[in-house]
Amino acid sequence: MVDASRHPKVDVRTYTEVERVEGFVGNFKAQLREKARFVFEDRCNGCGDCAEVCPIEVPNYFELNIAPRKAIDVAMSQSVPLVYNIDMDSCIECYQCVEACGELDAIDFSMEDKLVWEDIGSIVIATGFNHFDPSAMTEYGYGRFPNVITAMEMERLNNSAGPTGGNLIRPSDGKNPESIAIINCVGSRDKRFNPSCSNFCCMYAIKNAVLLKQAYPDMELSVYYIDIRTPSKGYEEFYDRARKLGIRFIQGRPGLITEDPETQNVFVHSEDRDLGRVTEREYDMVMLNQAAIPQPDADTISSVLNITQSPGGWFMEYHPKLRPLDTPTDGIFLAGACQGPKDIPSSVAQGAGAAARAGRVVHSEEWEIEPTVAVVWEDRCISAEGKKCGVCVRACPYGSILYEEGKAPEIVTAKCHGCGGCVAECPHNAITQLHFTDAQILAQIQTLLADKPEEKILAFRCHWCSYGGADLAGVSHFDYSANERGLRVMCSARMDADFIYEAFRLGAGAVLFSGCHPQDCHYITGQRVGAKRAKRMLKQFERVGMTSGRFRIEWISAAEGDKYARVVNEMQDVLDSIPEEELQEEIEKLQPYMEKRARRMREVPQIEEAASFAEKIALGHGTQDPAST
Amino acid sequence: MVGDNGNNEIRIGVFLCHCGSNIAGVVDPREIAEYAATLPNVVRSVDTMYACADSGQSLIKEEIQKHNLNRVVVSACSVRMHEPTFRAVVKEAGLNPFLMEMANIREQCTWAHGHHPEEALEKAKSLTAAAVAKARFLTPLDMIKVPVTQKAMVVGGGVAGINAALDLADQGVETILVEKEPTIGGVMAQLNKTFPTMDCSI
Ligand SMILES: Cc1cc2nc3c(=O)[nH]c(=O)nc-3n(C[C@H](O)[C@H](O)[C@H](O)COP(=O)(O)OP(=O)(O)OC[C@H]3O[C@@H](n4cnc5c(N)ncnc54)[C@H](O)[C@@H]3O)c2cc1C
Ligand code: SF4
Ligand code: SF4
Ligand code: SF4
Repeated sequence: MVDASRHPKVDVRTYTEVERVEGFVGNFKAQLREKARFVFEDRCNGCGDCAEVCPIEVPNYFELNIAPRKAIDVAMSQSVPLVYNIDMDSCIECYQCVEACGELDAIDFSMEDKLVWEDIGSIVIATGFNHFDPSAMTEYGYGRFPNVITAMEMERLNNSAGPTGGNLIRPSDGKNPESIAIINCVGSRDKRFNPSCSNFCCMYAIKNAVLLKQAYPDMELSVYYIDIRTPSKGYEEFYDRARKLGIRFIQGRPGLITEDPETQNVFVHSEDRDLGRVTEREYDMVMLNQAAIPQPDADTISSVLNITQSPGGWFMEYHPKLRPLDTPTDGIFLAGACQGPKDIPSSVAQGAGAAARAGRVVHSEEWEIEPTVAVVWEDRCISAEGKKCGVCVRACPYGSILYEEGKAPEIVTAKCHGCGGCVAECPHNAITQLHFTDAQILAQIQTLLADKPEEKILAFRCHWCSYGGADLAGVSHFDYSANERGLRVMCSARMDADFIYEAFRLGAGAVLFSGCHPQDCHYITGQRVGAKRAKRMLKQFERVGMTSGRFRIEWISAAEGDKYARVVNEMQDVLDSIPEEELQEEIEKLQPYMEKRARRMREVPQIEEAASFAEKIALGHGTQDPAST
Repeated sequence: MVGDNGNNEIRIGVFLCHCGSNIAGVVDPREIAEYAATLPNVVRSVDTMYACADSGQSLIKEEIQKHNLNRVVVSACSVRMHEPTFRAVVKEAGLNPFLMEMANIREQCTWAHGHHPEEALEKAKSLTAAAVAKARFLTPLDMIKVPVTQKAMVVGGGVAGINAALDLADQGVETILVEKEPTIGGVMAQLNKTFPTMDCSI
């Protein structure tokens, strides 16, 4: 901690929050809110004379509110920086502190929050985790029974720097407890709260039991657990040591805690796997190992920084195996428990790793970005003609489109991640995506449907998830219908309505619209842009009488090879269930509708050429003489 | 359309990979190569045992140079596997890396349809043709280069953030460490002794 404050190249800004982040890799602009401390950092020497005279006491967040602080105080004696701050909500403005500070003159009641902008090349997010509040689990009595405390409270109570100076006392009567039950998985691995494992509580259960046993050898200690998880180096040995110290490990998840109103001792009612029955044991105190949960402001941070969250709310890495410290936003990296619960060794390792990743960016003179970006054709944009539009702006998850009424939009190339959402959404085909142009994709569609289109299942898959899912189906050798014909775009946002109309116009038997699950989207909200469009189309197709199942929307992750195979097979079943002539009739009946809908597509440059290629090559009818091979 | 290497004509080379028996065990790559040779703008269509191996890579480079190819289609495995490889190969041969397109006839064809070799063959041809169709419209693209501000920001001053900031600073990078509370330290600063070393946590 102190190292950070002493390092000449680290600028520690405490009591500061990130309000806004703009820009892109190598070129971020961050707006920081430096909250008013009411004490000058450069004048305060940390003597504490002010707190001495302050008459107001408030709960100290650092002590989990089990101990007080003064209205002017520090969180703890080792605070870095050792600078006092005033809690204005409780301050009565008696100004005794100002007097006590005297000549140093470090206190300033007129201080206000300051907003500053900083230019930044790369960002590491390390906002950590929060603690589940066990009062939500009423069966454990936390908040009702004074002798039921949380693990964090124990960390402060059994701590020489804590409010009791390390003398562990029971909250109800101030006596030293003679027996303590430690309960694991409180709010973790519990479908009602957090289904996942919190990673480190097994280990700190053992740690606290060992520390208590060493400090109080006669203390009776029991750990209630579902499984003990000690997978890192040396951890199992540590568990072993705990057992040898006489700490009792009871396999069972307590269902109820009750209290003796007289003694305020607590009873833990739990299954005991070893005994094969339910037991009720009495303890002086209970410690609850509360689940690690995402920070309450994780949603805000993820929207400010344009990063994504996993289903549980933790920040999401770019790739769980191959790029665990990167976020989908270039130049922004993750470290520590904000990505998911992890202990100190792993958090430190990630900090070092993220610094290396971020260092790669800031040490470069310039940074290279994939050029698969969106480009505007000004002469097609109706906004440039003075008509109201701006549809593209709303599609962009990255805010990379600058729009002014009466002008064609401008795409900030370096900010564009190439989801293709604006390209597909623009009603006038005034935007294209390099390397995924309409002509390129249309040429693929035409070709894949050149021969017996009514038998084909044309599958649009996003690069990151569904294409990966299709790969996995193959890797796993799941047999699915070979009538499937896949093509790839980066995001479901790029799956243009025109492509689908065109596929059906050409007589496709079935079309699959498949991308990432919303929380997995590699372009933040790109999937939502695609999903909205696809759902709208599904309704239209229903209305015009298309057999249900011929157009299908599915979110398939790279881990769902089985799902990919199943979906394709089910679509094949749909095709098999329609008699040939009926399908042909339906295709012909819908053709004028599709033709009309896909009309705009025909206005795009190169489209005719793309189509003529497909005509020429209808399978087995290549027009060229075979070249020498 | 103008090719990357000065030709006014689109000259596509198609490379069919056997991938040992992974592809060739189900379909005959030579048959696909023969078919691809009939497609418009395809001037070369050859099969190779392993396109990604040194021999395959050299073959692609030689063919590009010898036949003045300005578009390349590699009909082999997943883009998630080897797109970077083949982009690099065509680049070494003097072509813009974005003038290469892949058809996935392994993961998405022979591996999935191993029991239906005829249908797999038809699909492999069709996927290869679609890659050729796209390749005709490929244009050379340059990576976008942006300048970089040589400064980092770490958000969150817990043990992870402090270590990240110190490491960046030791690399010589000016680093802002932003912490919302009045002190850095995070949860670790609140802990008693910590496992696995059981030393004091601050
Ligand atoms: C009871 C208990 C005991 C534990 N014991 C051990 C142990 O013995 N050994 C061990 O290895 N691990 C232990 N752990 C786990 C350990 O606490 C974590 O591994 C570690 O704290 C993770 O560090 P971090 O930096 O990722 O997150 P944190 O420690 O949570 O730090 C995050 C920091 O970011 C700040 N922050 C959050 N949001 C913002 C924002 N928006 N802007 C600016 N700053 C922000 C926070 O104020 C905080 O300072 C224990 C955990 C608990 C709950
Ligand atoms: S680490 Fe142990 S106590 Fe914590 S949730 Fe996982 S299994 Fe339960
Ligand atoms: S919507 Fe997607 S493709 Fe369009 S500018 Fe934004 S990031 Fe780029
Ligand atoms: S959506 Fe298309 S037409 Fe509308 S402003 Fe954007 S580019 Fe112009």
